[in-house]
Amino acid sequence: MFHRLLIANRGEVAVRIARACRSLGIAPIGVISEADRGASWTEVMDEVVCVGPAAPSTSYLRMQRIVQAAHQTRASAVHPGWGFLAENQRFAALVRQHGFAFVGPSTRSMREMGQKSPAKRAMRAAGLDVVPGSDGPLADADAAVRVANEVGYPVLLKAESGGGGRGMRRVDREADVHAAFSAAAAEAASAFGDASVFLEKLIEHGRHIEVQVLCDHFGNGVHLGERECSVQRKHQKLLEESPSPALSRDVATDLGERALAAALAVGYASAGTIEFLLTPGGEFYFLEMNTRLQVEHPVSELVSGVDIAAEQIRIAANHRLSLTQADVRLSGHAIELRINAEDPAEDFRPTPGQIERFDFPSDVTGATLRIDTHVRSGDTIPPYYDSLVAKLLVHAADRAAAIEALERVLDATHIEGIATTIPLHRAVLADPGFRAGNYDTSRLPGWERA
Amino acid sequence: MAKVPLIPVGRPLDAFLDPKQLERTLDGRRERDALLAERRSVVRAGWGEKYVERVHAKDKLTTRERIERLKDADSELFEVGTFVNHGRKFGKVESPAAGVITVYVKIHARWTMVIANDNTVASGAWWPRTPEKIQRAQVMALELEIPVIYLVDCSGLYLPEQAQSFPGQRGAGHIFKKNSELSAAGVPQIAGVFGDCIAGGGYMPIISDRVFMTEQAYMVIAGAALIKGAKSLSLSSLDIGGPEVHVSQSGCADERVPDDSAALDLIRREIQKLPGSAVEYYRFGAEPAPPHFPASQIAAMVPADHRLPFDADELLARLVDESLFWEVLADRGTEMVVGVGRINGLYMGFVANRQGLVDDPEKRGEKKPAAILYREGIAKVAAFSRSCNHDGIPIVWLQDISGFDIGVEAERLGLLGYGSSLIYTNSTNTTPMFTVLLRKAAGAGYYAMAGLPYDPVVQLSTPITRQAVMEGRTLAIATYNTKLDDDFEILTDDADERAEIEAGMQAVEARIEGDMDPYKAASQMDTDEIIAFGELRSWLELFAECAYQSIGNRRVKNPRIWSLHDISVLNAHRG
Repeated sequence: MFHRLLIANRGEVAVRIARACRSLGIAPIGVISEADRGASWTEVMDEVVCVGPAAPSTSYLRMQRIVQAAHQTRASAVHPGWGFLAENQRFAALVRQHGFAFVGPSTRSMREMGQKSPAKRAMRAAGLDVVPGSDGPLADADAAVRVANEVGYPVLLKAESGGGGRGMRRVDREADVHAAFSAAAAEAASAFGDASVFLEKLIEHGRHIEVQVLCDHFGNGVHLGERECSVQRKHQKLLEESPSPALSRDVATDLGERALAAALAVGYASAGTIEFLLTPGGEFYFLEMNTRLQVEHPVSELVSGVDIAAEQIRIAANHRLSLTQADVRLSGHAIELRINAEDPAEDFRPTPGQIERFDFPSDVTGATLRIDTHVRSGDTIPPYYDSLVAKLLVHAADRAAAIEALERVLDATHIEGIATTIPLHRAVLADPGFRAGNYDTSRLPGWERA
Repeated sequence: MAKVPLIPVGRPLDAFLDPKQLERTLDGRRERDALLAERRSVVRAGWGEKYVERVHAKDKLTTRERIERLKDADSELFEVGTFVNHGRKFGKVESPAAGVITVYVKIHARWTMVIANDNTVASGAWWPRTPEKIQRAQVMALELEIPVIYLVDCSGLYLPEQAQSFPGQRGAGHIFKKNSELSAAGVPQIAGVFGDCIAGGGYMPIISDRVFMTEQAYMVIAGAALIKGAKSLSLSSLDIGGPEVHVSQSGCADERVPDDSAALDLIRREIQKLPGSAVEYYRFGAEPAPPHFPASQIAAMVPADHRLPFDADELLARLVDESLFWEVLADRGTEMVVGVGRINGLYMGFVANRQGLVDDPEKRGEKKPAAILYREGIAKVAAFSRSCNHDGIPIVWLQDISGFDIGVEAERLGLLGYGSSLIYTNSTNTTPMFTVLLRKAAGAGYYAMAGLPYDPVVQLSTPITRQAVMEGRTLAIATYNTKLDDDFEILTDDADERAEIEAGMQAVEARIEGDMDPYKAASQMDTDEIIAFGELRSWLELFAECAYQSIGNRRVKNPRIWSLHDISVLNAHRG
């Protein structure tokens, strides 16, 4: 096993990976920007190297400096965490080229899964259904009309190299396809330097359900059940739970097995997540594969009892998986709330600044409480990075007990000095639709009107 | 240390190219690329639709159809010698591609060299330069030790021009010597015989390890037309040398098959029986990856005017995997850039000329033009070339070179000696070398950087490549030397004489300009193929995969024990 592992990340991510390192007897080494110098979370590291100024492009994204830091500190592995360089295959290749283990899948998997059409093609070949639409980028507007008529309206035109809604157009009837195609292609060309656009059937009232998998370099794999992440605002997940209230256990087991088989079929070897869109009609369509640890992975850790981050590091050191599917026992219900330094009353404006009070209860009756955070009272949240300050999780016997426990935890939680998303979470938890397990990505339950 | 310290190189195009310059470069490129595409399609059409129909009428496939069926469905074809005999007339006819297609074809994930008579051009006859073209392809296969497949369908020498292809050191019969050398070196050869194989065409398949004959094929030393009494006995060539004779009686062939497609299937099956490609093994744990900055951008980077500079480092960034590169001896001889990168996961050495102005190592603080070989650069390239050879790293030479430095200083520094050391190194290298003439390939620089006379496995040109001892302008100056002053201005005051000299100098320039046409070079086999800039990376992928396909044929040191590390560590700054 590695002796020293460099974590190319900051904050809550870095703290989580450091904890996994400790559990394996590995010394965690941190990198920081000048803005994070002296931050309380850096205390969990054995050693810290400053790699540049506050702006991520000059520090946390400077791959060559991070590799230099790994050389200097005699690290034997590099963990990218999530965000920053976690999905950058060039960084993975550079890290490996310099003789360090990169905690993540092969660069080939990262590249394939990082591009929309190749990922869909690979997963379709591996037996998963994909949202009906064009097979890759469209040749022209006429092709768009043909495909749209075939799959049925409404449809979405999306930029092949895109993200964040740019180069995206909803089309409801044939007459509008040509104009929408030109607009989407032009927007994609100016935003991403690539005018290619593909088309998908628009699935309304879909639910976002993802399966956590772990695969080693010897063809072994397990899935740790599904997570439901349909509580979203502008495609940002705010609350995740496992199991999904939308699935019967038979369907969930079948989905998990299919996702695992697909991951193994594409030769995946690391921790990963396969995301699906569940249609109101009950079909599962492959959306994308995340070739990294995800923010919400603790939800699956609670229901499975598996330390996913530690397993991911073991896999990177060419260890065989320490468990088989038969060893995986999913029990109870877990929910995670992402507490962000954002003000829900002011359109989720980020609220960096000093935290005057940061108190959580130490336990809760009838449930297990887990708080993943890098923040303490008196800390200052810098304005340059992700706004997450804590992930609050409970694990209880069933969903109702978990919701009830979360409400009690929030009652006893006191964060002062900055506005957070806690009021939003209270509203979601109180929403009858949410409580009934009846919600989807089209509306933020308890917050946005139907 | 044993690690190969590749680092991220390159910047986005808009960070170093002004959009107007980029547009101008692309503008100049489009026309030339279109011409290349058009000329390729003319060659590929052979003698045209009528001859294709004639082949189909015999229930045979055209040679290009055979090659399509032979290759792995998802693979690209890399043709060499496309423009041999381009623009050359034999009486009233031309011989597209010299009547033979020589092409790298991937079969069951192994690269092979396919040598196939074009049955749409004079029934696959051998023209002047056809034997040389076949031999060139055989040599490429021999150096890489990749299997050779002959698709034979050859009516013999094109007899009206026999004097140009029969005798001489590279005369037609030398093909069979190359057959023998390939066999002696243990390179697998497989032949499919698809039709008339008379005389030379008859000999060509026999040395191959496996020979397949279709029921329409015959191999004869001489056809029925030359056999006394054949007419009265109504003997055809098929009776004399068909599969009934050669497969069943003489043993000159191994298997008979009903038609073309069956023969092609069996050839594919033979290749599958060979050991697989070692490419994945020699990636030393890495995975293939495209360059981070797209290789397609190279087309926008290299101006057609060879006097305008481009950024050689940015070119390299667009050739190597993930745009990761290790420049070796970076602070010496900066007119040259040498270093290592991966192509499809495989280590390759690169030597390229920088353009524009670089630091003068002899005069601190001064600049001098690059694209010229100076002492330090020559020494650096020689040391790098030697190390790569020793380490078994194939070398890619990216030429854009005006020549050696000249003048009092250059002679005093002994450039003749340093240059000869480089020549010696390249001449005795056994690691595969591949040469690309990006634009100018002039003077002894062309030789010193492994131009075709130094036996690279393949030498590629672009649509703007100019090969010459010297530029037209320089030759004009040399020719009219006695009439010019120190600054090469015309001396005379006589208006008539001045006009005459000017016209003479212009004529010299124009002639040299015409001779520097890459298509002319390709026609005379002074270059192996003309490719578009946008195709360069795919060709390098081919070269890398071919160079690392076989095991046991050449030295491939693992990167821990590269002698390149020794050079690097000795040049590193201390403390």
